[in-house]
Amino acid sequence: MAELNIEQVIKEKGREKKAVIPILQVIQNKFNYLPEDILRRVCETTDITPDLIMGVASFYTQFRLEPAGDHIIKVCTGTACHVKGAELVYDAYRRSLKLPDGKNTDEKGKYSLEKVNCLGCCTLAPVVQIDDTTYGHVGIEDVDQVIGSFEHDLNNPSGKRGSTGDNIDGREGEIRIGLGSCCVASGSEEVKKSLEKAVVSNGLNVNMKKVGCVGMCHQVPLLEMIPSGKEPVLYAHVKPGDVNAIIKKHFKPRGLWDRLKSSLFELAEDIQTDHNWDGVERFELNVREKQVSSFLGRQVPIATEHRGVLDPLDVEEYQQSGGFRAMKICLNELDPPEVVQRVIDSGIRGRGGGGFSTGEKWRIVKDQVSERKFIICNGDEGDPGAFMDRMILESYPYRVIEGMVIGAYATGATEGYFYIRAEYPLAVQRIREALKICRERGYLGKNILGTDFSFDIKIFEGAGAFICGEETALIASIEGNRGFPKLRPPFPAEKGLWGHPTLVNNTETFAQIAYIIKNGVFEFTNHGTQLSKGTKVFALAGKVNRGGLIEVPMGISIREIVEDIGGGVSGDRELKAVQIGGPSGGCIPHWLMDTPVDFESLEEVGAMMGSGGLVVLDDTDCMVDIARYFLSFTQSESCGKCTFCRVGTKRMLDILNKICTGKGSPKDIEELENLSGWTKKGSLCGLGKTAPNPVLSTLRYFRDEYEAHIHGKCPTGKCRDMVKYHIEETCIGCTKCAQNCPVDAIAFTPYEVHSIDQEKCIKCDGCRQVCPEDCVTVS
Amino acid sequence: MISISLNGKKIEVPSDKTVLEISRAEGLNIPTMCHLKGHDLFPSCMVCVVKENNKGRLIPSCTTLVQNGMEIITDDEEVLEARKTGLELLLSDHVGDCEAPCQTNCPAYMDIPLMNRLLAEGKPQEALEIVKRDIALPAVLGRICPAPCERACHRRSVDSAVSICKLKQFAADHDLDQKEQFMPDMAESNGRKIAIIGTGPAGLSAAYFLLQKGYACELFDKNPVPGGALKYAIPNKKLPKDVLDKEILVIARMGAIFKLKKEVGKDDLEALKKKFDALVIATGEDNAVFTGLDKRSNAFVADRNTHQTKDPEVFAIGSAVKPGRVAIRAVAHGKQVALSVDQYLNNKPVIGERRIFNSRFGRLLNDELMEYMLEADPVKRHETEGSKGFSYKEMQKEAERCMHCDCRKQHNCKLRDYSDEYGAIQKRFFPRERKSVRKIFKHEPIVYEPEKCIKCGICVRITSEHKEKLGLTFIGKGFDVEVAVPFDNETVNALEKTAILCAENCPTGALAKK
Repeated sequence: MAELNIEQVIKEKGREKKAVIPILQVIQNKFNYLPEDILRRVCETTDITPDLIMGVASFYTQFRLEPAGDHIIKVCTGTACHVKGAELVYDAYRRSLKLPDGKNTDEKGKYSLEKVNCLGCCTLAPVVQIDDTTYGHVGIEDVDQVIGSFEHDLNNPSGKRGSTGDNIDGREGEIRIGLGSCCVASGSEEVKKSLEKAVVSNGLNVNMKKVGCVGMCHQVPLLEMIPSGKEPVLYAHVKPGDVNAIIKKHFKPRGLWDRLKSSLFELAEDIQTDHNWDGVERFELNVREKQVSSFLGRQVPIATEHRGVLDPLDVEEYQQSGGFRAMKICLNELDPPEVVQRVIDSGIRGRGGGGFSTGEKWRIVKDQVSERKFIICNGDEGDPGAFMDRMILESYPYRVIEGMVIGAYATGATEGYFYIRAEYPLAVQRIREALKICRERGYLGKNILGTDFSFDIKIFEGAGAFICGEETALIASIEGNRGFPKLRPPFPAEKGLWGHPTLVNNTETFAQIAYIIKNGVFEFTNHGTQLSKGTKVFALAGKVNRGGLIEVPMGISIREIVEDIGGGVSGDRELKAVQIGGPSGGCIPHWLMDTPVDFESLEEVGAMMGSGGLVVLDDTDCMVDIARYFLSFTQSESCGKCTFCRVGTKRMLDILNKICTGKGSPKDIEELENLSGWTKKGSLCGLGKTAPNPVLSTLRYFRDEYEAHIHGKCPTGKCRDMVKYHIEETCIGCTKCAQNCPVDAIAFTPYEVHSIDQEKCIKCDGCRQVCPEDCVTVS
Repeated sequence: MISISLNGKKIEVPSDKTVLEISRAEGLNIPTMCHLKGHDLFPSCMVCVVKENNKGRLIPSCTTLVQNGMEIITDDEEVLEARKTGLELLLSDHVGDCEAPCQTNCPAYMDIPLMNRLLAEGKPQEALEIVKRDIALPAVLGRICPAPCERACHRRSVDSAVSICKLKQFAADHDLDQKEQFMPDMAESNGRKIAIIGTGPAGLSAAYFLLQKGYACELFDKNPVPGGALKYAIPNKKLPKDVLDKEILVIARMGAIFKLKKEVGKDDLEALKKKFDALVIATGEDNAVFTGLDKRSNAFVADRNTHQTKDPEVFAIGSAVKPGRVAIRAVAHGKQVALSVDQYLNNKPVIGERRIFNSRFGRLLNDELMEYMLEADPVKRHETEGSKGFSYKEMQKEAERCMHCDCRKQHNCKLRDYSDEYGAIQKRFFPRERKSVRKIFKHEPIVYEPEKCIKCGICVRITSEHKEKLGLTFIGKGFDVEVAVPFDNETVNALEKTAILCAENCPTGALAKK
């Protein structure tokens, strides 16, 4: 049993109430759960009382009160993963681990299985995480392989290689590799290792650079070759085995001896691995090539300026590309009201979804008279299907910090917080490192840049609660409370953290501030519409060809995003709708594709900008199921304080479940609509007020699907309780289905018509997909 | 001071007050459940919603501060509908019976669990007074009632029903054995006279209740002795003559005037109407016919609930409207018609006995029966022969078999009162599969039933302010959140100082004094 020096932890974190979450996080990290006796000890030696510690420990999903297995398998249930079959993957793991009903840990106590909220790797859906390793594209047939791969790595830990990114004169060029979380999940780490090996074995003198997210998540792993003085060439879907040949194409090993060595090495490798490989050209991606230029062409990088070029933690590079210039302008040339005025003039509105005038908010905080003021960066990106803030924090940490310093200066804030959700460990790591470097350079701390402005930022890690993305609940959790929202007014800008004026802005909002100051208000207002200025970062995922992170000007139409940038619906299917705004948003049906993406237009059609999640749905997606999916998310994340949200969303979900299992009646649709209205009107905070939106918007545009369910039919066959899989008489007995069935529901009867045991069938659609004769029907 | 508009009226108010405080100061009736004066605000129940008309939205009045220019509406259709819907949502998650099923099943709605508790405590006279609130002839009924209460008794699912009828018989007999029988409180005479035709159980009961309300009653019967079917249709062995006579005597002592051997003829009603303010027909299964009154298959046509006939001054009850000679029903009618007559003669809407909102959740599941048995004596039902009653000891033992299925706070529960006021319908959102009821006794001297809790947090606030060592806290979140003791321990009493305070302030029956 692991040991923990509790007194030491308390000394570090503090004995006041507000230390409760950090203390619990340390305990949880050590033991994988919270042992009761340790909690009692904490109560005995701090100001934290039992009711407080248990109230908090039981509120946040990160904390476990029961011991778990040695390793935790987390199946992501974000939107993109859901539409790609996450439920089936979860069930497959239950079967594979032989978990009895009601239990989530296997017999030997080795693995525990959990469903988790969006991990932010949507373009690799379905995603599974085991401890700290993320696996992408996990289908139900891959579940065992993933465990196998995990166990293999456990038993064969490979040491970390040093990077060969030295800045030596006379270098031959640069090689960039994208290493955002998605990239890592798709295997970029392995590519990086191959890269390091290849550089060494080829005796190359190149600068190897880890860069942040390029946004082309559909192409990862990505490698960019930039030989000195030549055009950069981008490679996509790179496998570790491709690396050597790619390098050879652009960089020649120096001496004859090195060339010989490298050729021999290659030969040896080929012989050993029996690798049959048909050339490098296929993977080359010319930036001028249509698919890349279409993806990148319409985008306007502001929050994501210099994407794919900057090493996230290289502060020199950031500075050379214009970083911290805005901060210097503000501190040296402008006074706070002037800074605020520029932000107001830019027209920038909250990028977290609220859309409130950022400048106005800054002005309110600035006008408050208080000794202490706070500024908080909201990085609690909880919307399933949204990973913009993760990307910004991982790839452009200095940019966000710069925005915060400017904000603190403008509003008179003395202390800042980064509130980053628990599920983003890489982001926390990068920010922590970036803060350290900023302090070393005098960009944070006392007397910044030699002025009399002092300001510093702490990191607070969220403990797993979607509601804490709501600013008053976020503040409550920093104070060491359960994440209950508070009624507004008073607004946090007037009375926030510990009663002091507090500016809470979304990560993306802060990421755009430096650009506004540095490039001027007009550069910013050049983009966007009358009321929605500037650009917005979206996470495009779902049934689209080119998913990824995009930054587009406000006012661009949904059609342009899906077709031009996204390359249209994947797999030759028809577009049905685009879900925008996550669980607070709505669906925009395919006949409204020309709707411009700006705050007002989206509200008019019953959707919402939200934080930026954009999920493309095709004709195989069931809109009632989508509504149910989002509602079950918000229902499970309700804090439980107010009646209309706590009970209202539950009863709405009860009705939807009835409908999706074929037990609905016409009265149910009426009651669902009615209750949606009341939940909207009567809830205390944004979660409850917007939870009914997906239901209301699907009812508005796809009522026929609801009615079909009432009449016993799920038109797309997605609602598993309403469909039956059946093998027709035309079956030729090839046994492919029986071989493929994960639950052995089809008996192996060669040359005879096969049949499905309905009791065992899990409706995974596997048989229908492999049948060569198309004789599996769904009804 | 700032100015706001409250239900259309412009007023000046201090700026640091909540909408609730201002509204109440103006005499407006705003319901609240999770609001605890003098404590932190925790807007949760949302029953206090009012409309902020200038912003077109609903707000919780308990927490919202008044602002200049606010237009508040506290009672329009949308606000009332919002409160009703909120209550219905709370009720959908509220598993508890206000009245025990025995009481709900009794046609006279007698408070049986309370009677049982008093009998178990050795207080038969007080028990009798509870009985006589709803039942006019308890000693009679204790011998002949078919006991629908026992059919509904939850104890039946464990072993056998509590012997409610015999317990009532004991209380009634005990009273009849006293030198002076219990006399209910009587209102002062109001100068009005009611004619009751028939002295069977229906007529007697009507007189019993009307007399209490201050009406003079004259009972007509064609027979030489009163009692109706009780006298003439039930063998003496089952219902001894003296028992019936003693009970009738009580009614006579209350002021009833008996006009025996006086048959009211077919055309006599008009004449009677001139002498009396109202008429009550209680002629039983006698085939009586009266001009001006409709009859269908030997039953007078009258409203099921109010018992008023098409002639507003004439009421009909008992077997005369519903043949079958069910004494308990006749007796219940008597109680109801007294209310109807009283409403009619005071120019109020005639609605009969109004049943206040009653939360019901249905049959107990097996593990729930075990929970309920924690408070009941496991001994088997005591049987006596025929009409023989219980001895004192037998009575107490039997009374202790009661599982107390009623809610201990049914008469002072805000959820019940508001549900009644706003016409909330419990089954609107009630799920098909409900939560399992639990009773937690470790917080002496109160009992905690978590399935009645509306998560208002009042007890959490109270225990926290009083710095209880453990107290109560919210465990979990969302729909599954529960109020519980941190580090939940089976035996520890977490409410050392605040148990009674919590029970008194709990807006439902979740925390109640035992």
